[in-house]
Amino acid sequence: MSAPALQQELVPADVHAHVMAEAERIKAWGEAAERRARDDVNQPTINNWLEAMGLDNPRFKAGEAPPSMAQVWTMYGLGGKPADDDPLHSMMRVLTDAGFTAVLGTNCEQSYDRYLTVGEQVRVTTALDSVVGPKATGMGVGYFVTSRNTWYVDHPDGTSERVATMLFRVLKFVPKARSKDAEVPA
Amino acid sequence: MKVGDKLPEWTLPITPTLVVSTAIATRDFQDVHHDRDVAQAAGSKDIFVNILTSTALCERYVTDWAGHDVQIKGIAIRLGAPAYPYDTFTFTGEVTEVTGGEATIKVVGSVSLGDHVVGTVRVAA
Repeated sequence: MSAPALQQELVPADVHAHVMAEAERIKAWGEAAERRARDDVNQPTINNWLEAMGLDNPRFKAGEAPPSMAQVWTMYGLGGKPADDDPLHSMMRVLTDAGFTAVLGTNCEQSYDRYLTVGEQVRVTTALDSVVGPKATGMGVGYFVTSRNTWYVDHPDGTSERVATMLFRVLKFVPKARSKDAEVPA
Repeated sequence: MKVGDKLPEWTLPITPTLVVSTAIATRDFQDVHHDRDVAQAAGSKDIFVNILTSTALCERYVTDWAGHDVQIKGIAIRLGAPAYPYDTFTFTGEVTEVTGGEATIKVVGSVSLGDHVVGTVRVAA
């Protein structure tokens, strides 16, 4: 088994142990940091998106929303910030504090159960899915952090319907060019 | 839709207006998508296209080819080279799988620095 030896070379053992322990603690929160979209799914926001993307589809003028807008409805907005109990940002903070200061989005996997319709309000939860590393990448040594968002629509009868999910992966890393003078604190 | 079907190549100039208007239309106000000074201070060459737009352009590319009635089930992308203003997107795509009422289309969106986005778009078929 060469993996433990490799890990020791990349990151001090106590730093790695701390990162993985924090990952387990935050994963245990499950679906957390629940938020509702500021606005209902609405035509003006859809129209702005259609114009910017150059997509012309009559369906999206007749009550349906483009599927990849699922995430748009629950964006934080100008000046908005994740809550303290947000699992993704909590894990990012742990890694930033451990010296992995840089971040790079690497993967985004969205699945749509159905298209949303104008007038619906979505709700989103965030869970920490996995923390994998340390890895020596072209960008530098770091950890891959994967979060899972789940969007729901709540119905008047009290039921919740899942409408979309997203796995989002970032690399939190020590930038290669500066790795000599930005050593991971022990 | 059958395995091996190719999508026509699509090119899209990446203007500053495209980068900014798509970032704001996706309600992504991170300054690196609209403020060049901040982006450059952070070590970037310029402002760059945000991830929600990379996903949305895959949606548009497949929709433009498959037609307005296409039902998109999922878009999974891996991100590579950044997309800066004054570069050009070139999208290519191919149907790689058709099973169980679903088709998978592999999509590559490249820029001068390499592949910006490599992804799969799943659609009802």
